[in-house]
Amino acid sequence: MTPAEHPAPELDLLAAIGQVDPPDPIVLDAARETLWSAVAEEMLGGTVAEARTRGTGNRQAGERHREHPGP
Amino acid sequence: MDTDSVLIERSVYGRPDAFTEVVRRHEVAVHGFLARRAGRQVADDLLAEVWLRAFAGRGGYDPGRPDARPWLYGIARNVLRLHWRADRDDAHHAVTDSHDPWDDVVDRLDSTAQAGALLPALRALPPDERDVLLLVAWEQLTPAEAAEVLGIPQGTARSRLHRARAALRPVLARASHAEEDA
Repeated sequence: MTPAEHPAPELDLLAAIGQVDPPDPIVLDAARETLWSAVAEEMLGGTVAEARTRGTGNRQAGERHREHPGP
Repeated sequence: MDTDSVLIERSVYGRPDAFTEVVRRHEVAVHGFLARRAGRQVADDLLAEVWLRAFAGRGGYDPGRPDARPWLYGIARNVLRLHWRADRDDAHHAVTDSHDPWDDVVDRLDSTAQAGALLPALRALPPDERDVLLLVAWEQLTPAEAAEVLGIPQGTARSRLHRARAALRPVLARASHAEEDA
């Protein structure tokens, strides 16, 4: 660990003023539900895609779509 | 327990539902990331968007990184930037407007005692340095992880963190002396 990574008063104070209350469980549930829709869509769509690509190889399965945070 | 990278790999290859476990592990942290920067209401509104983008982009996840938090924070950061840009456009501001979201962040923070002295100094920091500093202080990331979030080299993140901390230290020292004298 470098000196820059050692705990320090300014970091402790910043951490303290950045405290937020945990989210309402309803919010977390709603967000997960939205995700589930996408998951379900892919699971169902995947079946169709497999049928379509059968015999031709699933070239896309190995492809990597990158979402990079960027600067 | 499987690492995040194992779950994400599984979700890419035949088990999309495995991704929901990654979400369960990090949903409070990602909500906190959003809430600290944009307020609770905006965090509530944007959380699902982060999950959708992460799910859509999971094929690009680096399996060599067992902890998905930096990657998720990077996506959350992009979602926030889009939100702020849309907000600004809605307000009919010019695209070149130099509105700094930090102004809104400061308004929400507790401005007492030493924190009160810290806030103007934080506001004065270059945004690039502030980003690294807050990822380390608020999200408890290492400089290397902060670099991953921001898509910058680790050395750059360390330099920015060093400069930011160096700028804040004298401010805190002055505030401490002022309290002692009072």
